This record gives sequence, structure tokens and C-alpha cells, in this order.
Amino acid sequence: MLACLCTVLWHLPAVPALNRTGDPGPGPSIQKTYDLTRYLEHQLRSLAGTYLNYLGPPFNEPDFNPPRLGADTLPRATVNLEVWRSLNDKLRLTQNYEAYSHLLCYLRGLNRQAATAELRHSLAHFCTSLQGLLGSIAGVMATLGYPLPQPLPGTEPTWTPGPAHSDFLQKMDDFWLLKELQTWLWRSAKDFNRLKKKMQPPAAAVTLHLEAHGF
Amino acid sequence: MALFAVFQTTFLLTLLSLRTHQSEVLAEHLPLTPEALKVSVNSAQQCLHLQWTVHNLPYNQEFKMIFQIQISRTETSNVIWMGNYSTTMKRNETVHWSWESELPLECAAHFVRIRSVVDDARFPEWNFWSSWSSWQEVNVQDSTGQDTLFVFPKDKLVEEGSNITICYISGNIQNDISCYLEGEQIHGEQLDPHVSTFKLENVPFIRKGGTNIYCEEKQRKAISNGTVLFVSKVLEEPKDFSCETRDFKTLICTWDPGANTALDWSKQPSQSYTLFESYSGKKKHCEEKNRCNWQITQDSQEIYNFTLITENYLRKRSVNLLFNLTHRVHPMSPFSVQFENISATSAVMTWKVHSLGDYFTLLCQVELHGEGKMIQHNVSVKANGKYLLNELEPNTEYVAQVHCADDNHFWKWSEWSGRDFTTPEAAPSEAPDVWRTMKSGSHNVTLFWKPLSKFHANGKILFYNVAVENLDKPSRLEHRSIPAPANSTELTLDGCSYQIRVTASNSAGASPAAVIVVSAAPGNKEIEEEIIEGTEDGFSMSWKPQSGDVMGYVVEWCDRPQDPLCDFQWKKLGPNTTSTVISSDAFRPGVQYNFRIYELSTKRIAHLLERKTGYTRELAPSDNPHVVTNNLTSHSFTLSWKNYSTKSQPAFIRGYHVYLKSKEEQCQPGAEKAVLPDDTVCCQYKIDNPEQKTFTVENLKPESFYEFLVTPHTSFSEGPSGTFTKVRTPDEYPYMLVHVIVPVVICVVLLVCGCLLKSQWMKDKCYPDIPDPYKSSVLSLIKSKENPHRTIMSISDCIPDAIEVVNKQEGSKIQSLGTRKSLTEPELTKLSYLYLLPTEKNYSGPGPCICFENYTYNQAASDCASCGHAPVSPEAPPSQWGLLTSSENLLKALEKNYMNSLGEIPAGETTLNYVSQLASPMSGDKDSLSTNALVPPPCSEYKMQMAVPLCLASPPPTENSDLSSITLLGPSEHYR
Repeated sequence: MLACLCTVLWHLPAVPALNRTGDPGPGPSIQKTYDLTRYLEHQLRSLAGTYLNYLGPPFNEPDFNPPRLGADTLPRATVNLEVWRSLNDKLRLTQNYEAYSHLLCYLRGLNRQAATAELRHSLAHFCTSLQGLLGSIAGVMATLGYPLPQPLPGTEPTWTPGPAHSDFLQKMDDFWLLKELQTWLWRSAKDFNRLKKKMQPPAAAVTLHLEAHGF
Repeated sequence: MALFAVFQTTFLLTLLSLRTHQSEVLAEHLPLTPEALKVSVNSAQQCLHLQWTVHNLPYNQEFKMIFQIQISRTETSNVIWMGNYSTTMKRNETVHWSWESELPLECAAHFVRIRSVVDDARFPEWNFWSSWSSWQEVNVQDSTGQDTLFVFPKDKLVEEGSNITICYISGNIQNDISCYLEGEQIHGEQLDPHVSTFKLENVPFIRKGGTNIYCEEKQRKAISNGTVLFVSKVLEEPKDFSCETRDFKTLICTWDPGANTALDWSKQPSQSYTLFESYSGKKKHCEEKNRCNWQITQDSQEIYNFTLITENYLRKRSVNLLFNLTHRVHPMSPFSVQFENISATSAVMTWKVHSLGDYFTLLCQVELHGEGKMIQHNVSVKANGKYLLNELEPNTEYVAQVHCADDNHFWKWSEWSGRDFTTPEAAPSEAPDVWRTMKSGSHNVTLFWKPLSKFHANGKILFYNVAVENLDKPSRLEHRSIPAPANSTELTLDGCSYQIRVTASNSAGASPAAVIVVSAAPGNKEIEEEIIEGTEDGFSMSWKPQSGDVMGYVVEWCDRPQDPLCDFQWKKLGPNTTSTVISSDAFRPGVQYNFRIYELSTKRIAHLLERKTGYTRELAPSDNPHVVTNNLTSHSFTLSWKNYSTKSQPAFIRGYHVYLKSKEEQCQPGAEKAVLPDDTVCCQYKIDNPEQKTFTVENLKPESFYEFLVTPHTSFSEGPSGTFTKVRTPDEYPYMLVHVIVPVVICVVLLVCGCLLKSQWMKDKCYPDIPDPYKSSVLSLIKSKENPHRTIMSISDCIPDAIEVVNKQEGSKIQSLGTRKSLTEPELTKLSYLYLLPTEKNYSGPGPCICFENYTYNQAASDCASCGHAPVSPEAPPSQWGLLTSSENLLKALEKNYMNSLGEIPAGETTLNYVSQLASPMSGDKDSLSTNALVPPPCSEYKMQMAVPLCLASPPPTENSDLSSITLLGPSEHYR
């Protein structure tokens, strides 16, 4: 009984506005998340330009397309269209959440190499914004009653290069990190746009999920 | 003794045997080949670390040895380096040695072997090379069989300007590979089929993030791998290293660090700076890059020997500085700067300094700035400074500042500390410079004075006091106070002599008085004006003193003589001066300046001495006189230019030139030929008196044209070449004209009178009256002789068989339409056409009509149109006349009809045609317009003389015969 009560209490924060009447549903928060991805897209365009110039050629060349040597650990945004369409809301949001969690961690690693104060400031600002996006996705998931994915022990992403990992490969990884981040933001915009359309009217969906949770 | 000899022999034998044994041992174990050779690799440093030992060394003592080392690359036979290494070693001791490879060790396998030789003078017999040790292979990277491309060295840190070799190992990759440095392809040489090397010389610093070198497979066009070369700037030696103290508690050391050698990606931080003092043995790591504070301890250390060490990962540099602490004292800036007892000419300045101890004296420098000048004073100070600033100017703003330095061992001045102050005013120190002008013939005196210079004013002048004292009779002093900045005043005096005193006053007091005496009898006699030559620098003039006892001289003039205010000026000169140069910025070329020189007597009375006039530079006259011609006769005329002012000219006018042009080739006496600038030749008369402003040209020819020009001339030029004025001399005998014209006029008058008197006769001859038929003698004769009953046909006797009513036009033609509205011209035309058309329907055929024909006035046409075959309907407006008059074609047609009528009418059928040549077309209707000459007079206006068959007078209108209608219609279709 106590365990059951604890479980209920544990899930309470994940069900916002439970006691409120006239709950607007997840629509507004999805819209906000969508807006945030577009804003981050714009912000990343500026940051990537500065950072790739800092790396120097060939990383700042327009047609630069290096092999994905050391960036295998980065979450891939590209996915088969059919697979993407078949994703359910929970999986879709979970993938987004996990991807940005990893990318944010990697992104913080860039800061240690950047020497100029301007670049450090831009990176820090972007990290803060990305943290906001992560929180926003978490909010949407909570509204819909989905639990946040728990990191498996030992799978915490690290950015410590191996002994054979040269600075050149590190620069390549940085390039891939920014590229993957950009692709994820494009994908997220589509994801949230799809969710937004799907959640109209939002009230029924919330009720449905609340029921699914057993309340 | 014997025992000693035996012992000695035994010792020698033993020693000999030992020696023999030693030689045998060495000989037995030779050669001394190095053993246990181990090779380790430092890839980052590209170093091979070798260690070996020599086991065969006899005894446990040090041997001086030489090791020869051979290093091969790729294969043992490819020896790339060989060298010797000398050292001392003992048996079994391990020797360490390092070798740095220019090629990254990963690029190829390396092989090492060593041999040795004993280089010890004690053992010359062992001085030969041992055999080589076996080859030791060093293979850092084994890429055989791998599909990955490797580029070496990895992330190498080098200094700017150094040379570096890189390589790539392609492994199993078969494609061609190109390598690039920051986008620029680099070319190398192939070391073996899988390894290529690239030598980069004098590598530049590009960015802190490193220089990217990368290789790609040509076929795939994809980057395979690369490396980042971190190029650091060269660490510079600190410049301008210096230490000083300001308070004997802290030493402040400063230097110029030069370029920052920091690199990103944690490759190299900024260079560090460390301060080391050798006497105390203390060391301090400096937090800042260009300065470091060193705490002075109380152990009374005076001499310091500092070493500033800077280093980064690649280099270490240091500079040294040895000094005595007491010689590096930089005092702090003085404080509490004050001024005491400020007067008009002096002030006391005080300040305080930070104490450096009882044994220190400071040298302080006081600077006084004021009036664009700077004065420096040095003062020795222990704790409190004080200095008297004197010889100051009243009413002047000063800035005083002070800085100090160590008096015993000068090192540096402290920063300045200062303040400003202003001295109070003092009474003006000098009397104003006063002069006067007197209008001739009156007692009005205008006093002028010049403002005192700032130096003499000693403050702001508030007003000028003028005191007038009558010298001839005792009277009360007249005082007048004129507020500044006025510089003149006018006094009205009587005929007495007056002494005038002028003083200038400021807030502190009045100046000494300037005294001038105005004499009752100025005694200015007429003095001739002397012309002087000026220059751009002014007028130089001199004068002759008249009396020996003078106070001085005054020269007065106007800077702007043309202006009404004239900008009066004067210059006072001493009694011994008889010449001066008057110069002014206001002097302009072409302006005449007049100077008056006065002599000031000891009684301060001025007497006019001389008058001078001149130009700084004379200019050519800009215009010629306006000349009037008088007294024009057939032989002479007089030229006059009395309005021409010689005074207002830009130069002294010396006379005039009169030029005369005529057809005569010879000039009159008194004139000479001159060629004008336009190459025309004329006669020139010269007038040398500038005041002669008339000239008579004589001996001219009557009825001739002359042209003249009068131009002034100066000492160097003449006026502009203007236009000549034309003059024509009159005829010599004008009365002859009277003798001819008067008789002709009389004759004409008489002829006219005669004509008037004989006018009736003339009328009869020229245009007799038309005889009246009633009064004709012929008529009376017929009446009496042939038919006494026959009379002239009267209208009452005529029995008409047809009556045509013709409306007589009276007043306006339009009005005759009765109630009809007036028609516009097109309407008229239209209507006329319509009504003139003789349509079949309306045509009623010819009818009898009574007409009075007058062919003189185109009566036939009118008759045919109006009376004959155009019996217009009652509605037909008479305005058809307007149409007739407006058509020229019609006129022609009518003329034609008229001619036809004359020709076609048979004579026999024309019973009586009365043709009146005098009939006026206006006789019937005075209101008719002139164009109505074409209008047929109404039938009723004339007495019918006969009845004419209408068919004869006007044939019936057929298409072929009605010419007038055809002509009238023209191309119009109305007729059809």
C-alpha cells in the first residue's frame, strides 16, 4: 500500500495540472517546444559558422564531408522515413530526449578546447538554450504522461578521446557533433509539428493518457 | 739490508706478474662489445632512448670510452646517421643516450647498433674498436594490412619558423593520395610503397587552434585522415625589465612580455614568468604577464640580483637585473598642494611628501605656468615643501605643480601634483597713450587714447578719467569719466589754452596721467604736402626739427582714409628721433595715405611740422574721365572733364593724354603720332598738369568725323584704353541751305494758292457735272418738235403685269428677317445653299419681272439670282446675300455671267439700257456694307425704264446652262 502511494506521489509531478480545470492540454507546450527548436536552429547556424572557422580549413569549407570516424557514439538523427512515420508519440519524444541529453553532454566538451572568450560565450549560451529544449521536451512528455528515459548505468556519454584519438579526429568529431545537432533540430521540428497536429483537440489525448496510467 | 733487498725484489716481481696478468685478462676478453642494448621510443619527442652496458671491462674503475652508434632506417643497410658518444663508465654500468629523429618514428622502422673503444691514455693498447653489437629494430607503427591511412606526427607542437617532416602510411590503400596544408596541396617523396614524407620548412603561425594537414584519396575525394600541427610563436626575451620601490616595502618589477605563445586544445598555455633573487635565493611565480611585486623584507638587504625567467613548452629565456635598492626609489606624488599669501605679484606654495625615512631628501621641482610662459624652480624637501613664487603678474591665472625625486640617487620623478590660482589686480602701471584731433576753425577737440596692454593694465580697465584745466584763467577743473572700452571723447573748448589729463582706472586704482595741452592759437600755417614713396612694409619718412627744445614728435594718419571714421592712428616718437617708418596691416595698395608730423614742445603743445602723402604701391587708374564736348565749330571743339577727381585715384595723376583719330594722316602741331594697343594710329596730345581738365582741339576740317579719348596718366602708366567718342564738325556754309529751301517753299505755296483760286475751272476741266436729263436741251427740242405728248416715262404710266415685292434692307440684315432668329455663318451658308437650289418642285418657271439693269455694278448677276429665276418662297431669307458676298467663286462666276450677258444678249432685243457711270452703289442703301457692292439694288429704287423678258435676261436654269449655280455649288452634292 505504501509502495503504491509512493508510486502515485512519484508520478504526480509528471502529471501537471492534474487538479486544474480547463486544462489546455499538451498543445501549447508542444508549440513552445517547436518554436524553441526553430530558435535553436537559427542560433546553431551562427555558432557553427564561428566554430568551424575557428577549426580552420577543411572544416569550414562548404563541401566538407569527412568520414564519421570517431563520431559513432553520437546519436544519429537520420532515420528511414517509414520507420519515422511508424514511431509512436512516446518513442518519438523519448528519442528526442535521449538525443539531446547526449548531444548536450558532448557539446559541453567543446568548451574546453575553445580559447576565445567570444566562442566560449556563444557555446555557453547555446548549451543553456539546449538545456531549455531538453526541459521543454521533458515537460511535453510529462504532460502526456510518459516517463523520462533513465540512463542505463555505464552508458553515460563521455567525450574523453582514446589514446589514439588525435586532435585532427577530434576536430572531425566536433564537426559531426554540430552537423548531427543541426539534423536533430530539423528532425525535432518535424516531430513536434507532427505531434502538434496530432494533439488537436488536446483534451481527449490527456484524458486518454491519464487513463492509461491507471488513474 | 739484505732483507730489504730481498723484499724489494719480491715486490717488483709481484708487480710485474700482476701487470702481466692484467694484460692477459684484457687480451683474453676483447673486444669490449656493448651489450644489453635496449631501445625505447618517445613518439611525441620523436626520440630513441638507448641504454647499454659493457660487461667486459676489467677492474672496477672508470674507463674513458667512445661509443660509435649507427642508425638505419627501413633496412639495416640504409644507415641514416652515425656518430660517436664519449663518456666514462665502469664495468656493468648502464649508459644512456638519446637520438632525435627528424622523421616521425612511426613512419618507418629504425635499426640501431653500437661499438666501442677505450679512449684512455692509461691503456693505449686497448685503443681499438670492438665489434658491432647486433642490430636492434624499432618499429613503432605496424600498419601492414590495415585499410586506414595514418598521418604522423600526431598533434606535434613546434615553434614558428622551424622545419618539420610529416608522413603518411597508406597501409593497404591502393588509391592515389593527396595531402593538403590548410587547403594548399603539398608534395613529398615516397619513402616506400606505403609511406610518403613531406618536408615543411619555416612553418608559420596561423591560429591558436593549430594548422590542419590532411590527406585524401583522390578517387574517393574523401578525407581519410590528418593531423594538426600546433605552431607556437617564438618565446621572446622580456624587454625593459626594471624594478623600483615607492615605499621601501614592495619592489615593483615590470617588463614587456612580447607575444603570447599560448595555444588552444591544451597544447600550450601562456608562457610563465618567474622572478628569482639570487642573494636571498627566493623565487616567486608571477601572476601577471608584465609585472610582479616582490616583498622587501626587513633584513636591510640593499643589493638585489633578479633573474626573470620566462618559459613555455618549447623554450626558456631569462634576463638579469642587479641593482641597489636605494638607487631605485620612485617617490609617490606630493599631496596637499596649497597657496598662501597670494598678492598681485607673489604667492607662497606649500605641499607635503610621503616620507621615505630620515636619511632621504627629496628634490622637488616646481613649475609655474602662466601667460604662455613656464618657470621651473628646484627645492630640496624632507617632509613639507614650501616655495615663494614671486615676480608674478597682477590679475593673471597661474598653474603651479610640483613633482619630486630622490635627491641622492635620481631615478624617476613622481607624478605631478598641482593647482591653479589667480593673482589679484593692481593699479595700471602706465599712462594711456593719448592724442587729439582739432577741427580747423572750431574749438572742438577729439581726444583719442589707446587701450593699455594687458601687461600695463594690471586688471580690467573700468573707465577713463579726463580732467580739463584752463591754463589762461583760473577756473574749476572739469572732470569726465568715460566707461571702458571707449577710446575717444569730444571736448568743446573756448579760445583758451587747456591742459588735459587722462588716466585709466581698474578696480585697484588709477594709472599715471597722460598730459596734453591744447593751445589757444594752434598756429597751423599752410604747409605744403610732400609726396613720399611707400612700400609694402610701410612709409619711411623723416622731418627737420624746427626748435631744439622738444619733448617729442607725433605722426598721425588714418588707416582707412576713404571711410568716414577713417580709423585715426598716431605714433609718438622721442625728441631725438627725426625719422620713422609707419606701417600698418590696414595699408592697401592704390590708397593714398596722408601723414601729419607734429612737434611736441616742452609745454606739451603740438605744432604741425610737415605733411606727407603717398601710396604703399601706386596702381594704374581704373577709369577714364567722363568727357563733355563743348564749343563745337567746323574747325574746333573743346573737351572738358572737370568732374574728374585726382585725389581719389589709385595713384598720383601726373596729367592726361588726349587721343584723336581722324582721316587726316598728319597730326596737328602740338600732337604726335601714337600707336594704340589695337595697332591703330592716332594723334596724341599730352597734358602734364593734372588740374588742367579742359582741352581744345583746333585746326579741324568742317564736315569731318573725329574720335577722341581722354585718359589720365601716372608716373608709370595711363588709364584703360576705353572707347573713343565720335564728333562730327559742322558744315562751313550752312546759309546756302536757306537760299535754296526758302524760294522753293514760296513757289509751292503760290502754286497751291493759284490752284485754289482756279478750282472751279479745274473742276470743269477735270471732272464736269453729269447733265440732268430734265434739263437737257435735247429733251426740250424733242418735246417741242416731234411729239408734244411724249414725256419721260413715269412709274404711274407703267402697267405692271407682275409685281415683285422686294424687301429693302434697313439697318441690320439679320433684323430684316423679322422675328426670325439670327443665324450663324455656317447656318447662313447652309440656308443660302438650300434656298438657292432651284428644285424642280419649287421652280415655277420664268415669270415676267421688271428689272433695272446696271451692269457697272454686276447687275446682271444680281438680277438673275434675285429677280429672274429665283422666285424664292416666302420663307426664303434674304441672307443669301451674305453667301454671295462671302464666296469668291461666286464673284468669278458672276463676272463670267456678266461677260456672257454682254455678249449674248441680242442688241435688237435690248430696247433701252441705261448705263450710269456715276451711280454709287451706296446711293440706295447707306447702311449696306462695302461688300454690298455685289448686292443688286432693289428694283423699287430705280425707275423702271423698260420691261425686259425674263427669259432673255436669265435663261432657265438647266443643269447645263446655270453656270452660276454650278460654280456656287462646287463639288457639293446638294444640287443633285
